Amino acid sequence: MKTETAPEAPAVPPAADPRPPARVLPVWANPRLGLLIVIAALVVLFSSLTPAFLDPRLTLAPLQADISVYVVVGLAQLAVLSLGHMNMAVGRMAALSTFAMGLAYDRLGVPLLVGLLLGLAVGAGIGALAGLLIAKTGVNSFVVTLALDFGLLGLVTILYTWATGGVSFAVQPSGLAALRFDTFADYCMGEVCGPRIPLVVPIAVAAALGVGLLFRHARLGREILMTGSNTVAAELSGIPTHRRVVTAHALSGLLAALAGFLLAANNGAFSANIGESFLLPSFLAPVLGGTLLAGGAVSVLGTALGATLTQVIYKGLNLLQFSLEELKLYIGLVLLAALSLDRLRAVLAERRAVSPS
Amino acid sequence: MSVVLSAEKLVKTFPGVRALDEATLTVTSGSVHALLGENGAGKSTLIKILTGVYRPDGGLLRLPGPDGELRTVQLGNPQDAQRAGIGVVHQERNLIPAFSVAENICLQHLPRRAGLLDRAALRTEARRCLDLLDLDLDPDLPVSRLSVAQLQLVEIAKALSADSTVLLLDEPTASLTNDEADRLYGIVRRLSERGHATVLVSHKLEEVFAVADTVTVLRDGRSVAEAEPLADHSREEIVDLMVGRAYQQVHLAARTVAADVEPALALDHVATTAGHHDVNLAVRPGEIVGLYGLVGAGRSELAKALLGLDRITAGEVLVHGRPARIRDVGDALHRYRIGYVTENRKEEGLFLDQTVARNTAVTVWRKLARLGLVRDRAERSLVDEYAERLGIRLASPDQHAGQLSGGNQQKVSLAKWLAADCDVLIIDEPTVGIDVRTKAAFHELIAGLAARGMAILLISSDLPEMVTLADRIAVMREFAIVGELDNDHDYDRMSQSVIRFIHDGQGVVA
Repeated sequence: MKTETAPEAPAVPPAADPRPPARVLPVWANPRLGLLIVIAALVVLFSSLTPAFLDPRLTLAPLQADISVYVVVGLAQLAVLSLGHMNMAVGRMAALSTFAMGLAYDRLGVPLLVGLLLGLAVGAGIGALAGLLIAKTGVNSFVVTLALDFGLLGLVTILYTWATGGVSFAVQPSGLAALRFDTFADYCMGEVCGPRIPLVVPIAVAAALGVGLLFRHARLGREILMTGSNTVAAELSGIPTHRRVVTAHALSGLLAALAGFLLAANNGAFSANIGESFLLPSFLAPVLGGTLLAGGAVSVLGTALGATLTQVIYKGLNLLQFSLEELKLYIGLVLLAALSLDRLRAVLAERRAVSPS
Repeated sequence: MSVVLSAEKLVKTFPGVRALDEATLTVTSGSVHALLGENGAGKSTLIKILTGVYRPDGGLLRLPGPDGELRTVQLGNPQDAQRAGIGVVHQERNLIPAFSVAENICLQHLPRRAGLLDRAALRTEARRCLDLLDLDLDPDLPVSRLSVAQLQLVEIAKALSADSTVLLLDEPTASLTNDEADRLYGIVRRLSERGHATVLVSHKLEEVFAVADTVTVLRDGRSVAEAEPLADHSREEIVDLMVGRAYQQVHLAARTVAADVEPALALDHVATTAGHHDVNLAVRPGEIVGLYGLVGAGRSELAKALLGLDRITAGEVLVHGRPARIRDVGDALHRYRIGYVTENRKEEGLFLDQTVARNTAVTVWRKLARLGLVRDRAERSLVDEYAERLGIRLASPDQHAGQLSGGNQQKVSLAKWLAADCDVLIIDEPTVGIDVRTKAAFHELIAGLAARGMAILLISSDLPEMVTLADRIAVMREFAIVGELDNDHDYDRMSQSVIRFIHDGQGVVA
């Protein structure tokens, strides 16, 4: 018999079950760090090309306000990406919700906060409706929200025509102007004034912190992620998956409504075109930040950085006086480059982690 | 007999693991060659090298050339392997559901005429391959309409279509009933009569001894038995070679079940929309009741109906003597403390891309949470506790479940139900695809749970496992219980009685 005999006392216990090595990725493989570096590089580039880029009042304050809007837009998409779903109606949900806000301010004269809450409720409601349709019918979220988007497009136009005879509410609820123009530098206690940060920024920061807390620590958020990771296993682990789908979509609608409100505050008007520009950025921010389209994992910080990157590019090119068409062309190119670089970085990091060094 | 495949001193390393350490495999024409070893011994790695998925870091791969002389080859990709005459049927199904049987069989080399699919040639070629297997199957049938066993056979036909001289079968019977497995092995024998060589990877030693003639055993990436005649070895010797130490049959401590205790779970003339009728079953605390039957007899379906995934149309389910209406798994878990360990750990039991910590704690977040927020420290200590209790080998609780070996994955899939502190546990096929040593550990674990008062309903198609573990065995056939036996742990007697129940009235001789 040509059989090996086992050593009497093996130095290493028989590796019938070798521990898989924990994969350690190099630091630069973190997509968040990569984004931060790209953002910093672009800021240096733009400010060396045009000093106006660093003008606090004309550039930096509006830039922060824009970033705030698109961070929340990205979070609205992230809320359903967590499930591996999509919300193609993210812009139109914002439009319908801001219509509700405008109507409340115009007809009922409610305070700013009450109108906002009302609009958030409308957004959450329409999101929940989408979630309910998806959960009950089992139809793909892409199709359901795309159809919903189409329907809402018509509905919003009809509603604005009915309520205003045009495409915008004339009403200016008190406090809206402050949200639009003021920064904390305008509020002083004696000699000490705040930093030049627009008033809308803390709203977006709070939203990001809330969503981050939800998905990292809350049972609800984790159960949504587990549902996105493996729906059957989630159901067999006692998670009410249908309800989690509805919750995630309601959250998406609510955040879309909040983004709509922030944009209305920045524009100074509740109008029908709010949300028109939301769809592409809503995907870009989370995806640039490392959130998977497949579901089960999200990155709130990445989404904030992703939104920042797109807005920095937009603002920089704008200041360099590119025409609107050129602007679109270059933003497209820069984003494609950023996504490819990101992919390259991920592949390199993966190779580095796998190959024995 | 000539050598048709020779792998010499193959080496393959992954970070931290030397998966193959000078492993050698020599296969001769017309033989059925068993490739054995525990999980992690390197069988899958070897198969992946033979099929061109991995490239070896060292060693030679030699195949006969046109003149019959062996020459060294490099298999750069699976297509190369196929051209070299190595066909493989992987453990996972690799068929495209929407395509027809014929299209799937000929997928690698679809016949074309003027750039378009040549349907007639396609059908002829598929027919030829199916005939090799004596398989009477309509080539135009979409694969999605086939049974599990038929899928398996179509995969073999697909592997044969490439004119394979060597056929690799990786756990071919894991999802087949005994009859279907017999049929499959009949085909394997016929193929070897025609000169094809078969390499068979299986955890089921009974099958290996019934069908194989040569054996190679891998342990820790090395071949500890190289192409030896299987007849020279006893079952015990082979197991010794695999685990590397004298293997001891598990002797489980005897348990006594109080007969007068109220059953923790009882079914009273239950019928379901899945098709069950008149099912009576009772599991007392501390008792293991086995539910045996062939694949498709309705056992897992019964478990799922109990959990509210299917409707119960008649009869009553009693939990601790009180009628229960279970609407979903959450209800079963939180209100009635019933858990279900699924047979399908990869698709239904685990979240492969989530951490082990989350996989384990998912059922108890409700308890670990304060104000809706889960306390990380509580989660961590829970995971540590169960990793230790079940002997789960972890680099870190933050490891993804998908990175674990099959046995450890199964333990994680069980851990979440132990953590949930259930009274009743339904365990479905706990040891499918798990090696001998881990299997024994599982049996001890399950017996230990019962000894501590848990009521266990054990669903298994593994009759030896059933006889080892169960106190009583209920036999299910065609969605009804056809008999119930007190288990005296005598394998021959019990298996005969069980088989009789299964085939009773079907006119099949066991």
